Order: sequence, then C-alpha cells, then structure tokens
Amino acid sequence: MILYQGEILDNHYQKEKLGTLREDCYKTLQVGDSLKVQEVILACDKLAQKFKNGDFDELIIPLLEEFDIPYEFFISNIPMFEEEALNRKVEIELGKDYLDLEPLNDQNSREVHPLGILFHIAAGNVDALPAYSVIEGLLAGNINILKLPSGDRGVSVQLLSELIKIEPKLSSYIYVFDVPSTELDTLKIFAEISDAIIVWGGDVAVKAARSMTSVTTKIIEWGHKLSFGYASLDAPDEELVGMAHHMAMTNQVLCSSAQGIFVDTESRVELDKFADRFFNIFVGVNKSHKPIPFVMKSKNALELYNEKLEQHLTHKHIWQQDGISVITSDDSKLELSMLFRSIWIKMLPKKQIIKELRPHKNHLQTVGLMTSKETYQEYVDIFVKSGITRITKGEDMSRMIIGESHDGIYPLKLYTKIIEIEK
Amino acid sequence: MKRKYVRKLFNTRKPYDLEKSNDVFCQAMRENAMHHYKQCPDYKRILDEANFDPKSIACMDDLINLPFLPTLYFKHHELFSKPLWKMPIKATSSGTSSGFKSKIAMSIGDLWRGFKMIKRIFSYHKLWSIRPVTYLIFGYQPTKHSEAGIMKTAYGFTYVAPAKKRVYAIRWSKENGYQVDLDYMKAAFIKASQQRTPIRTIGFPAYTYFLLKEMKAEGIKLQMAKGSKVTIGGGWKQFYAEKVDKNEFYQLVHEVLGIEEKNCVEFFGAVEHPILYTDCDYHHFHVPAYARVIIRDPDTFKPVPKGQMGLINLLTPMMEGTPLLSVMTDDLGVLHYEGCECGELSPWLEIIGRVGIKDITTCAQGADDLLSK
Repeated sequence: MILYQGEILDNHYQKEKLGTLREDCYKTLQVGDSLKVQEVILACDKLAQKFKNGDFDELIIPLLEEFDIPYEFFISNIPMFEEEALNRKVEIELGKDYLDLEPLNDQNSREVHPLGILFHIAAGNVDALPAYSVIEGLLAGNINILKLPSGDRGVSVQLLSELIKIEPKLSSYIYVFDVPSTELDTLKIFAEISDAIIVWGGDVAVKAARSMTSVTTKIIEWGHKLSFGYASLDAPDEELVGMAHHMAMTNQVLCSSAQGIFVDTESRVELDKFADRFFNIFVGVNKSHKPIPFVMKSKNALELYNEKLEQHLTHKHIWQQDGISVITSDDSKLELSMLFRSIWIKMLPKKQIIKELRPHKNHLQTVGLMTSKETYQEYVDIFVKSGITRITKGEDMSRMIIGESHDGIYPLKLYTKIIEIEK
Repeated sequence: MKRKYVRKLFNTRKPYDLEKSNDVFCQAMRENAMHHYKQCPDYKRILDEANFDPKSIACMDDLINLPFLPTLYFKHHELFSKPLWKMPIKATSSGTSSGFKSKIAMSIGDLWRGFKMIKRIFSYHKLWSIRPVTYLIFGYQPTKHSEAGIMKTAYGFTYVAPAKKRVYAIRWSKENGYQVDLDYMKAAFIKASQQRTPIRTIGFPAYTYFLLKEMKAEGIKLQMAKGSKVTIGGGWKQFYAEKVDKNEFYQLVHEVLGIEEKNCVEFFGAVEHPILYTDCDYHHFHVPAYARVIIRDPDTFKPVPKGQMGLINLLTPMMEGTPLLSVMTDDLGVLHYEGCECGELSPWLEIIGRVGIKDITTCAQGADDLLSK
C-alpha cells in the first residue's frame, strides 16, 4: 500500500510515483506555504478525539490484544496527542521561544526551521510506530517519506490518511511506500532526497541505513533499548509491589519494561532470599492482572522446563507458579527476559554498576529503583553515569509524561535546525 | 539389546490401527527407554532426576509420566545413544531464530524402520507410482552445504515415483549461497504443462502458495498431465498470519495447475520426531501406529481433556540413535477423537500454531527469511 499526496494506492503504482517523488517534494519546498506547527497539532487533536470516541476501535483493539495492552491504558495515553500536550511537547523540546528566537545581534536574527525532508525507516515491532514517527516529523514541519516495515498491516497508512482527511494541507508532507529492505536502489533514492534518515530498530537496521547514505544525509537512530529494576536489600515491600505491578502490566515487551531486577549484593544466598521475597509479592500482585496469553504461557512453560533440565549445569534457581516465574543465576549479565512475566533476578553490587552497564551504554533506557528513601539519591548518582536515560520508581518505569525525552534526546530538536539570517 | 517389539510395531500391516497396536507400542517404548537409559548418560540423568524407572513402563498411562524432552533441549545438547561413526545419517533442523539447530543421528536400524514406515504409509495413501514424474521441489537443492533434515526428506521423496527430472526452488551457487528463484519455478511449471509427464511438487506450502498466487494474478492457467500431484510439507505457519484457508490453497492449485483437491497431499513430520504424518482425503493428520500424541496443559503438563488445545507431545520408539521417544514440540494443537469421514478410527492431530509470538523459527520460517531477503 502506498500513500501519496493523500491518495491510498496499490503497490504497483510505486514505480510511477517514485518517478515524481523528488519533484513533488521540491515543489512543496519551493512554492508551498510552509506547514505550521499549530496546523499539525490541531489535526492530531482531532484524530485523538476520534480515538476517544472509539472510531478506530476495530483497528486498534486487535493490536492491543496481541501485545496484551489493556484498552484503558491505551485510552489513558490518548491525551498525549491532544492540543495541550502537543503544545507542551513542542515548547519543551524546541523551547518556549521557538517562534521568536532572540536575535544573535542587531544584524542577525535566528529562526527555527525544519530540516526539510525526513526519510523514516520504521521498525515492525509496534504497528502504529511508523505513523508516530511521521507525526514527530510533521510537528517539526518536515516533509516525511516513510518506508513501511515488512509485515506491516496497514495501520500506519490508515492513521496517516485520516490525518490528511482532517487537514488536507498535510497531503504534500506525507509519502508512504511499501518497499522491501532489499530494494536498495529505491531506498537510496529516498535517502538521497532526504535531509536525514530516521531509523527505528536494532543495530542491523542502523548499519543498513549507514550503508545506503551519502555523507550529505544525516542519520538519526532510535534503537532498541533494555530496561531493568535495581533493588537494595533493604528496599521496602511497597517498592517491590510497584515493580511487580509494572512487570505484570507491561509483560517486558516495551523498551521501558523491566526485564529483570539487579540486586545490590554479592551473595547468592542473599540474592535467592530476595528473589523468594519478590516472587511471593509477584504471585500476589499477578492475581489482579489479566491472565497471560495462552501462546506465551506455553512458550515460557517449555523454556522453564528446559531450564530445569539444564539446572545441573547452570545452577539457576527457578520459582514458578500461575504461569509467572523468577530465575536467579550467578552472573550479572544484562539480557532480555523470557517475556510475559518470566523475569530474571541477578546480583549487581553497587560498586560493579558502571563496569557491568557501560558496555551496553547505547542500549540502556530505564532503571526502576527500589531502595530505602535514605539511599535513593546515592544510587541515582551512580546510574546517571551508567548510560541510563531514565531513573524512575519501579511502578513508573513505563509511565509517559508529556515532554519527556526519547531515550535522553528531544526528537524535535534533531528534526529542526537553526537558520541565522543577516538583515 | 533385542528390539523385538519395535520390529513388530514397524511391521504392522495396518498403519492406523492404534487400538490393536497399543500393547506392542507400549512394550516397544519400554524397550526403547531402557536402551537410551543405558546408552545415553544425559538421558539417564534426566530420568533419574524425575525418579522415573524405564522398566516401570507397563501401560499407555505410564507413558504420560515418562519425562519428555522439549525440542529446545536438542538445540543445545547433543544426545546420542550410539557412537556417531556408526550412524549413517546426521540431520539438523532447519535452524531457529536463536541460531541453534537440533542435531539428530539415525542408525541403520532407524533408517530401516523409517523405510518400512514410508513404504507402508505411501502404499496406504496410494502414493507409489512406476510412472516417471517431473519433481518441482520448493526446497533446498541438496548440496554438501546444508544438512537440513527437510532437504533430505524432500530428496527422499523423489524416489516415490521415478524421477524424470528434479527442479529446485532454492538453489545453491558459489557466489550467493542458497537463493530462492521462484521465476525459475514458474517457467518450469509452464514447461511441464506442455509435456505429458505428470508433475509432483514437494515443499513448503508458503512457497507453493506465493508462486501460485502470483501465477493466478498473471492470468496463468495450466493443465498438468493426469497423475500429477501437489505434495506439501513443512508447516502452514505463514498461513496463520495470512489467515489463508487451506481450502483456498486447494482451489488455487486447481485453478492454476488444473490439479484436483484429492491430488493435494500434505505431510507433517519433524527432525525431532521423524514419523511421517500424511493427510487423509479429508486433509486430517491421523496418528499412525508408529507414534502416539499427548496434548498437554502448559500449566501442569498433564494431558488436557479430549478435544482441548495444548502443547503437542509426540512419542515414538522408532529411534535408537537419539532419545526421541517422547519429544515436546513448540506447537499447540488439538487431538480430534470425533471420527473422520475417511473412516479411519485413529484420532487426528490439528496443529494450531506455534507457541510464543514470533519466536522459535521452523524450517518454514527459515525459508520465509530467505523469501523476505
């Protein structure tokens, strides 16, 4: 499926449209009256209202179910796309004075402008993500070319075409193509037209983007991130309860979901004691959450059974009940969990934090701290130097706050530039 | 050790008579469990840890308690119950997302039993033919560069009827390694339709499906020679995602190749459970006498009530090279006892899909990766 100037077209129009893309983009830059941030914000606000009214339930509910995300959680996040929130996002990211920057001097003014044309290479792990990436590009005033991820089910095209219906001016700012990653020549055309490539996904995707880019196009990466909890042995129960809720709610599928918990100890005995304590809390908390989808529960049951067969080699300790599990081991390796409430708990003494985490510096996102009030700041001071970009309480790891950065960086800043003009 | 019962089991004349073969199946399992317990130290450890004495197997219910090995375990551990040099066949599964492959070794006895099974089942399904056919294989061209079990299976199938020619969709070249070339297959289909030799297609349903769909879109309608068959194996996984009905597939075969539904045959098997499941005229996989299937509850691993979905546990005493007597697959399925219009009383296995969301990759998934390249 292709979305070209507001029209949804079949893939076989691709060749024809590729032929006119550059010209059409340049035309928009040349003659179009440029896109105003407010126009984008108002369009998003109207789209958000439609979501609230349930107009897109048919589209969105199957996706939420697949990732086991509660509908209420989704609805509670819609305000992020409403007028007030988007205005705040723009103000925080670009500064309150973005429309009226203080001049350099009497002769030279400064203005915030979009980079121009962005080429988004979206990851396939979250269906609406490609559309979100484009919306960020629009908020910065850019023309956006989007390459859909393989296996895309059309959600992004539908959302973006709705947005164009609400604000027809956006039609010359949104181009969506369904090009496989192997069609390098086509991707090179997109890259060559664009001022920047926005890459979502793992290291492989980033490397591929680098290989197709000339030095005149910059690459902006939003890679996969891992998050985890960190607890001191004296962490109060309520902190562990918060973490358990977070784990049961997000099922370890988000960048911000804790995959496991590191504990400030060097003793395996203390670690197992902590794991036992956490597991009992986890089992209790889990009862108030949705059951784990059958296919995931089955996958984890097999993996846990396999772990037990290997226990004589691995010395792992496994706690397992109601489809959830906790595994302790002797290592301090940061890794993905089995997902869906089967998590790890490992030793990571305070003095080892930097040494263990720094090698993962570009893959770290959130740490959910569980400590006593008195020692909280002490751990914060270490984690700010570890490569982590968010420090929260356990239960807040996946909370979203308007205006927060994306893995430590403000995207709108990256999607715009400052132009200095002499009078 | 004498393998009296397993010989008896694989000599059975009625390949779908489960009822009558229960006793001999159970004895053969006991025999096989004792063999692996004695010869494979890791298998012995697993049984010991579960406090299971292989000698205690006396009835079918005891097989429920026999510790199963998940296919995952074979991807990380090599379990052999005979010296490797004594075993002529070493097969691997087609690879997984984790990059690990199961390694299975087959002894001469295992191969002999496999041969007897295939002979019996193919006779039952009337698949043997003396008339030469052109094989169109949607799979790997056999070379020394791959040990994938599916490839060996596909090649083996080309002896079911004498091969006039073998055409492969995934071909090996020095420059690019294995590459899918569906255009080449398309041309081969068109050429074959102009000849009087019947064709047999073999291979992953996904490839066959995608190619036929493309041919249909191009308005290609062929009429293959009488006696042509479409045989598929390797899983329908992609079809679950695409929500393509099997009936749609059969219709497509009919429209594009002029081959009737009754001449579409599907096989199912795995490197970790080398038993041949062949669908009946009503496209049901009846459990053959050489195997038993237990559907287990993922919470307790106890058998689920009849007709319910659970993890598919496959049992067979066929193999002496590797302890594959009770293997837990990564698949979810249902065992149907409600009977079948084909008249066979053996329950039939419906595979619902893989556990997890996008995890452990199968043969078909590996192929899918090549397709999406």
